[in-house]
Amino acid sequence: MLILLDVVTTAAILFIVSAGLLAIFGVLKIINFAHGAWLTVGAYCAVVAARLGLNPWAALPLAFAVGAALGTVAEWLIIRPLYRRPLDAILATWGLGIVIGQLITLAFGRDVQITPNLLGGTVALFGLDYSLYRLFAVLAAVLIGGSCAALLEGTRLGLKARAVIMNEALARALGIDTARVRLATFAIGAGLSALAGVLLTPLTSVDPNMGVAWLIGAFMLVMVAGGSFAALAVACLVFGAVQVLVSTFVSPILGSISVAVLAAVVLRISPRGFARA
Amino acid sequence: MSKSMLLSSALLIALAAPSAHAAGAGPITIGVPVGLSGANSVVAPSVVQAAELAVDEINAHGGVLGRMLALDVADDASGAAGAQKAFDSLVYGKKVDVLISMETSAARNAALPIVSKGKVPYIYTSFYEGHSCNRNLFVDAWVPEQQVPPIVDDFIKDKGAKTFFLIGSDYAFGRGMLSFAKSYIEKSGGKVVGEEYLPMDGSDWTSVISKLKTAHPDAVITSTAGGAPNVTLTKQMRAAGVALPYANLAVDEGTAKSMGADATGIFLSASYVTGIDTAANKAFLAAMAKKFGADEKTPNDLSVPEYEAVYLYKAAVEKAGSTDSAKVLEALPTVSFDGPRGTIRMDKQHHAPLTMYLGQVQGDGSVKVASTFKDVDPGAQCPNLK
Repeated sequence: MLILLDVVTTAAILFIVSAGLLAIFGVLKIINFAHGAWLTVGAYCAVVAARLGLNPWAALPLAFAVGAALGTVAEWLIIRPLYRRPLDAILATWGLGIVIGQLITLAFGRDVQITPNLLGGTVALFGLDYSLYRLFAVLAAVLIGGSCAALLEGTRLGLKARAVIMNEALARALGIDTARVRLATFAIGAGLSALAGVLLTPLTSVDPNMGVAWLIGAFMLVMVAGGSFAALAVACLVFGAVQVLVSTFVSPILGSISVAVLAAVVLRISPRGFARA
Repeated sequence: MSKSMLLSSALLIALAAPSAHAAGAGPITIGVPVGLSGANSVVAPSVVQAAELAVDEINAHGGVLGRMLALDVADDASGAAGAQKAFDSLVYGKKVDVLISMETSAARNAALPIVSKGKVPYIYTSFYEGHSCNRNLFVDAWVPEQQVPPIVDDFIKDKGAKTFFLIGSDYAFGRGMLSFAKSYIEKSGGKVVGEEYLPMDGSDWTSVISKLKTAHPDAVITSTAGGAPNVTLTKQMRAAGVALPYANLAVDEGTAKSMGADATGIFLSASYVTGIDTAANKAFLAAMAKKFGADEKTPNDLSVPEYEAVYLYKAAVEKAGSTDSAKVLEALPTVSFDGPRGTIRMDKQHHAPLTMYLGQVQGDGSVKVASTFKDVDPGAQCPNLK
């Protein structure tokens, strides 16, 4: 039972961390290696919120707004000319990530920052004391996944985004302002990543390099998931399960590389990953 | 990639007043390679401050053999690759006279060949897993033989603990500390019911904590890398509701304070806590507060040995009558310094007997000393060194 809870909550955390990266990869077909930096920016929004004396929960909307605003600027200045050069976009976003990391270091120093907990304590569940926050992470993941699906399936922007995914030239010919769709997608993706950064603060230390540890895992998951949120959810559950099982029964050291190894194996066998799911 | 390192190396803090130069000799340069970035970044600034204070005080009293002291601080990024660059630049580029620093074990191990080749005395001021032996290396901080027994003895005798669970970061210090802890626990009649590690950059302790909870031990002892992994593990353990007697072999007072409520109740064992009630410690704390004011980083078990090591080097140079490496190395084990931690003399196979304090973190973040263990011997660290 404990292992099942560990699997589900680990998958939820992986999903939260990867959602912003997937939103950008799914629509724009570029890999945003500045993703780790957006996570860090979000976490520092929690630091700033704490310093301003705001309620810890206020950091969530703050981080989304800051992330989306910075995402808008970054798309406009850096990403826009690079849509047709996806390899250059990887370099540019990697560089952007380094720049953001250094700016955070300049502003806040290299120290570990401490943020107030969003939710503390444990709850009794199936005869176990389980971390309340990890259970909340499952809810957060469902909410994020649900609202992304609703946005994509139920709104005008989502319809346009899907048109851009399917055939961009045709979408443009039909009068869809594809540049604006791209801008909005990038902003939302960056906002989601920053939001994930706040949601990570109760689990990790906040320091300028914190995002890097999560970037590789998120990248692997998104590669396997292709462009779909449903596929991402499946990938998170499968990989989360493997990570927890390997950590529990073999060794936590092997567990921490299991996502990367498994992603390589899956992509070797099926180059489209879980995208058909 | 080496940008940040070069920047910090360029940060040569020349404290020598030009007018004070005696006999035309330049300053004696102390290289301080330290982890300004990476895992050690939380404590490194306090170490640099301690070195600055020692150098200031010595220079104000006329320096060493009529020469001023100067510091050259380099960032080693808390790791092996960064340390190689930092030591290369300090030993061969800057040609420092001595290296005095707190570093990760990975950084120290990577740097030792450079130190041997450059024949520079190296005073290592960080507690570590022990048994690092080199002609040029002296250590004035604790090893497991000094730190672990106070905790295990207290847990077994006072808390009635019989079973222990050990958690660490997967690197030399984490493994070394816990392997000593394990043998000491078993020697003392206790039992280790679990021992788990995560890589240094690992941040997901989920399954480790689940194993801890399923094992139902009486006490838990952790030995992670300082900084991020320590904070991450403590946060996740507290979130999972772990409320066992909890000793953290890698936490210092400052980190405990900044961790807030999550740190309350943690036991730590150290050769220095700010609450040591001696004139030397009070004078040291007052001097730190006066020099750094609001920017002062709380002195701790990593920064105070740095402060004392600068004085030990001074004493050795004065005894040797020069900064010649061979002569200084000969003098180092014979000199002593009365510092904030008491009298320090590195005469036990390049290591030092130290007085150890068992403390518990209080609700307000301060550390209360529960008991004191006088002049604990480091044991046989380097029997093959003369």
